[in-house]
Amino acid sequence: MEFVTPEGLRQDGRRPRELREMRAEIGAVSKANGSAVFEMGNTKVLAAVYGPREVQNKSQQMSNQALVRCEYTMANFSTGDRMRKPKGDRRSTEISLVIRQTMEECILTHLMPRSQIDIFVQVLQADGGTRSACINAATLALADAGIPMRDIVTSCSAGYLNSNALLDLNYVEDSAGGPDVTVGFLPKLDKVTLLQMDAKLPIDVFEDVMELAIEGCKAIATYIRNVMLEHTKQLEYHRDG
Amino acid sequence: MAKKATPTTTTYSPSPTVHKTRPSLFRTDDVNWVRPDGRGFHQCRPAFFRTGAVNAASGSAYAEFGNTKVIVSVFGPRESKKAMMYSDIGRLNCSVSYTTFSTPVRGQGSENKDFSSMLHKSLEGAIILESFPKTTVDVFALVLESGGSDLPVVISCASLALADAGIMLYDLVASVSVSCFGKNLLIDTVLEEENYQDGSLMITCMPSRYEVTQLTITGEWTTSKINEGMQLCLDASCKLVEIMRSCLKESAVTISEE
Amino acid sequence: MVGLSTGEKLFIQAGIAQDLRTDGRGRLTYRPISIETDVISQANGSARVRMGGTEVIATVKAELGRPNPMQPDKGKVSISVDCSPTAEPAFEGRGGEELSTELSIALERCLLGGKSGSGAGIDLSSLIVVEGKLCWDLYIEGLVVSSEGNLLDALGAAIKAALSNTGIPKVHVAAEALDNEQPEVDVSDEEFLQFDTSGVPAIVTLTKVGKHYIVDATLEEESQMSSAVSISIDRHGHICGLTKRGGVGVDPSIILDMISVGKHVSEELLNKLDSEIVAAEADEEE
Repeated sequence: MEFVTPEGLRQDGRRPRELREMRAEIGAVSKANGSAVFEMGNTKVLAAVYGPREVQNKSQQMSNQALVRCEYTMANFSTGDRMRKPKGDRRSTEISLVIRQTMEECILTHLMPRSQIDIFVQVLQADGGTRSACINAATLALADAGIPMRDIVTSCSAGYLNSNALLDLNYVEDSAGGPDVTVGFLPKLDKVTLLQMDAKLPIDVFEDVMELAIEGCKAIATYIRNVMLEHTKQLEYHRDG
Repeated sequence: MAKKATPTTTTYSPSPTVHKTRPSLFRTDDVNWVRPDGRGFHQCRPAFFRTGAVNAASGSAYAEFGNTKVIVSVFGPRESKKAMMYSDIGRLNCSVSYTTFSTPVRGQGSENKDFSSMLHKSLEGAIILESFPKTTVDVFALVLESGGSDLPVVISCASLALADAGIMLYDLVASVSVSCFGKNLLIDTVLEEENYQDGSLMITCMPSRYEVTQLTITGEWTTSKINEGMQLCLDASCKLVEIMRSCLKESAVTISEE
Repeated sequence: MVGLSTGEKLFIQAGIAQDLRTDGRGRLTYRPISIETDVISQANGSARVRMGGTEVIATVKAELGRPNPMQPDKGKVSISVDCSPTAEPAFEGRGGEELSTELSIALERCLLGGKSGSGAGIDLSSLIVVEGKLCWDLYIEGLVVSSEGNLLDALGAAIKAALSNTGIPKVHVAAEALDNEQPEVDVSDEEFLQFDTSGVPAIVTLTKVGKHYIVDATLEEESQMSSAVSISIDRHGHICGLTKRGGVGVDPSIILDMISVGKHVSEELLNKLDSEIVAAEADEEE
């Protein structure tokens, strides 16, 4: 199958090194301490943060740091074909773990001992890159909740198809079976916190693909920062108004 | 238990397809139409109750309405699970299950997954939960044979089992349903009627207090029809609760005689 | 669930008794309702409804299937609701399942009518393609995104909006198949049939707090209820379904009174919903 035309265009009309259109909205769930919707093309996820609050299960309480928990759920209608998946299948358990570890790394957990932070991510529409979109949404939600973080963490995926490095794969490209690199990145500290890849790639090509994914992360970080700035300005406006 | 209040016609539960031609009969406003078991439109099936059906339970009851046969056992009050938070009122835990042979098609009864929560909602208003703090009462109902109007029978039987277990109640709970077929209201429907009903109304009430603890309606109803249906159900449940009460008295007499 | 002090409880109860609720509403006033349609592109129809802080999404998916042999002239509809943990941390894992089942069953009871199909908001015979062989199966799925009370009314409204947003592809039956064979069909990508949703009822939940009933209760008010009655009422004022929640018994005459109040409120709600749905559809076309 041809994923990049000779003119250098992808199936959805993007260039190989182009992100899908992003849209972010802060504060979608009024009851949560922080929440955000993040869209990348047709992928749409909602994240809500509850906490820091009292630890629900006392045996999990830690005296030197906060407990971070995460649950990833997919709406039944999020995929093209309708299916009823049991909650807590292996895929969502794995993604929950990935998101939790990534977010835990950037939260200053030592500032909030004996407390618990819950991150819930809900996929509303899935079209490739849900993992990345969830991390981006979770970052925004954590920032909205005012939870101290080292840096905002952003995530983006890149793949390699038809001898081309492609940024931000959609579902069709993702299911083509080529290599798929997901990177979580702290832009200010210039550090990678998450790196996942399936299938195989020669080392030199891998470096290119990863570099591309990091570039994507940086672009997303700029966007997210703007969204947060805009949101804060709105708050200021409301206060003054 | 083998003793029955009246000789019931023991037929095999008919497979619904056999009666495919029936709906035309229901549709007409033919007042002379006879129900499958020969009852009048506003006549309930003969009810039979017996307490003490399960020895291991704190209280239990068996009920038989025509072909509908249920058994309910009550355990407790016993200590709530450790994981449960402290509660200064008691907890009620209800579960309704069907035997695999209760329905014409094997295992069909499990479709009624909401019965457990319905039973819970019907009973919780009648139980004096304040009388057993920090503890849980378990109500397990088993439908042995599903012959129509299962939930009302389960609810009435469960309240009898609670009384048998000595759980404090404001009043016995009786439940009756009516179904509507065109312009007619039929009380206490059997399985084959239920498949063609236009709508149904179920009332659970405490007759002595004249209070409704649960009410569900499906299908299209006008207000006047709801009125009529409710009145019908309330009257029937007053009679039903008398039968339940006499069953309790009977069992008390037997115990004191022994 | 909701932690309230005695003072707060009394404040809520006294406010309701004086027809001035904590958020300034009267007893029979709804919170602002906003409807957005076509929010999920993969579905045949979808809508998001916000009622104050409560937010729900409903989607409709249509698939071709075989009709039930018992009812060869009717399609099938199923309703299921999911509670996302984003709405309430307690819904984590399997925690939301109990509420999900309760809501799904209440919605089925309120919207799908009796066994014979009378009182149904959706005309099941309109879903038939080839009698006895091919019909549309509608899968209605709801998702609770944010919960601030009165989920059932919001879900009912969302399903109504999602159904009016639904386009069912036109099906051309290619050739008359033999008796026991499935006919060959051609599902059109361009032509869609719209649903007639004028018969879909609205759900009004009346929550009884003290001696009075209120509509559209918030989470705090719901925690103070003694009982609640959800009534689904269509345009003609017919009752299509009713469910009571809360175990405390009430006098039958009070229930009848609640039904008549519900009828009155439903007229307003139906008008409001219809105009919101029309506005949402117009927005989308722009």
